[in-house]
Amino acid sequence: MSWNGKLLHIHIAPEATYEMEELAEANLVAGKGIVGDRYYLGLGTYSPKPDCREVTLIESEALDAIARDDPPMQGAGITISSFEHRRNLTVQGVPLNHLVGYRFKIGEVILSGGRLNFPCKYLENLLDRPVFLPLYNRSGLNCWIEQGGVIRPGDEIVPLNQPSNKPHR
Amino acid sequence: MAVRVVMKLVIEKREQLDGDLIRLWLRHSARPTLPSWSPGAHVDIRLSNGKVRQYSLTSDPNDLSLYAIIVQREESGRGGSDWIHESYFEGDEIRVSTPRNNFELSPGKAILIAGGIGVTPLISMGRALSEIQCLESFHFCSQHSRPAIERELLEFCGDSLNTYISEDPDAKRLDVSTIIEKASSDLHIYCCGPERLMLEVRKLTADWNPDQLHFELFNANADVQAKPEPFDIIIASSGETLRVSENRSILDVLRMAGYVVPSSCRQGICGTCECRYTAGEVIHQDSVLDLDAKQDRMMICVSRAKVSVTLDL
Repeated sequence: MSWNGKLLHIHIAPEATYEMEELAEANLVAGKGIVGDRYYLGLGTYSPKPDCREVTLIESEALDAIARDDPPMQGAGITISSFEHRRNLTVQGVPLNHLVGYRFKIGEVILSGGRLNFPCKYLENLLDRPVFLPLYNRSGLNCWIEQGGVIRPGDEIVPLNQPSNKPHR
Repeated sequence: MAVRVVMKLVIEKREQLDGDLIRLWLRHSARPTLPSWSPGAHVDIRLSNGKVRQYSLTSDPNDLSLYAIIVQREESGRGGSDWIHESYFEGDEIRVSTPRNNFELSPGKAILIAGGIGVTPLISMGRALSEIQCLESFHFCSQHSRPAIERELLEFCGDSLNTYISEDPDAKRLDVSTIIEKASSDLHIYCCGPERLMLEVRKLTADWNPDQLHFELFNANADVQAKPEPFDIIIASSGETLRVSENRSILDVLRMAGYVVPSSCRQGICGTCECRYTAGEVIHQDSVLDLDAKQDRMMICVSRAKVSVTLDL
């Protein structure tokens, strides 16, 4: 697999339901999460249910498509800003749905795809916008942090083309 | 269930109003505009002492650069207003939910009746009604003189403002029965204030169409006759049954069982923990849901059930 992507935005929230805050750089800790994020702190909505949620990613291309109502499911486009979708990293040029079970690199950090993110009614309630169906199958990727480090918007994202030993489904 | 995003706002300005009242002007910490809201809306303030309190927005909903709330220091309150007066100053960050409105304006002319700090939601409502020439009269009664509030009300009420200061022996007295007797039958009445004021308005409008009567409660409408009894909740999706003892709420029991359930006021007044139910006889003790909504929804922070209730979870 050959592609070359870019990290556009980094967001964290200190607690469940708290608004996401944009970071100019983030410290990712292997096996834990992004320093300061609710899942790193064990304060996320789904923290009581152990799962792969150390860091979550979403494609900017998916958000662009939803904004132009493509495919036309809702009658009109829905704008979901980068601070609203509640994934940590907004990326461009990265085929997230192909990375379940594989390692890839953002700057110095190595992530591996654990499972596809599934849209939830919780997000729909929080945003008060019908985003559940438009996000279906393009809701992003939940990842393990295999090698920690600091990342910044603009960092290059590249595949490592290596299967991961971490649980994935 | 209704959940709301919690924002990080900054106190742009803290104004000392009359005596024990302050007004906080709040802006977003990262963006130029705040979420839109409609007159009568409130926000939850998540205090740094862990408490959550509701405050009505009193600013102009057409100006989304700032929200304003008015906070009265209440020594006998539940510790929220006192904390705000002591702890929050200009430049401080404060956690505030996006707005919610349980006290929406309906189309048509209206009489507004406010008691004490209950005036706060009615400020934005009165302003909006005045802009469309639908403010019939605004009645504001208060124990103490509130010149800053009165000045603000006068700006949009003009001659339709009536104030009643109970500590002033020479001031005129609020006569709710005369106001209601003289009111045209197609008017709406919006009332917010102490329970005895709202009970009086309710009593005097008992034969009115309930759609024309609107009350905002600061304390829940609990049925004091209801003695808490244990009951079961059944989770519709899994069939799981959980026992709610007489000294626990449904909210407590769900959380102890690992369910992620939003809540805020825990008094049945904010609407955050609204939950749909599909079977059972519910003892409603909230002050949010109207009669129609109570047929299949309940506020699980305060309301209970006889024997069992099946929750749509």
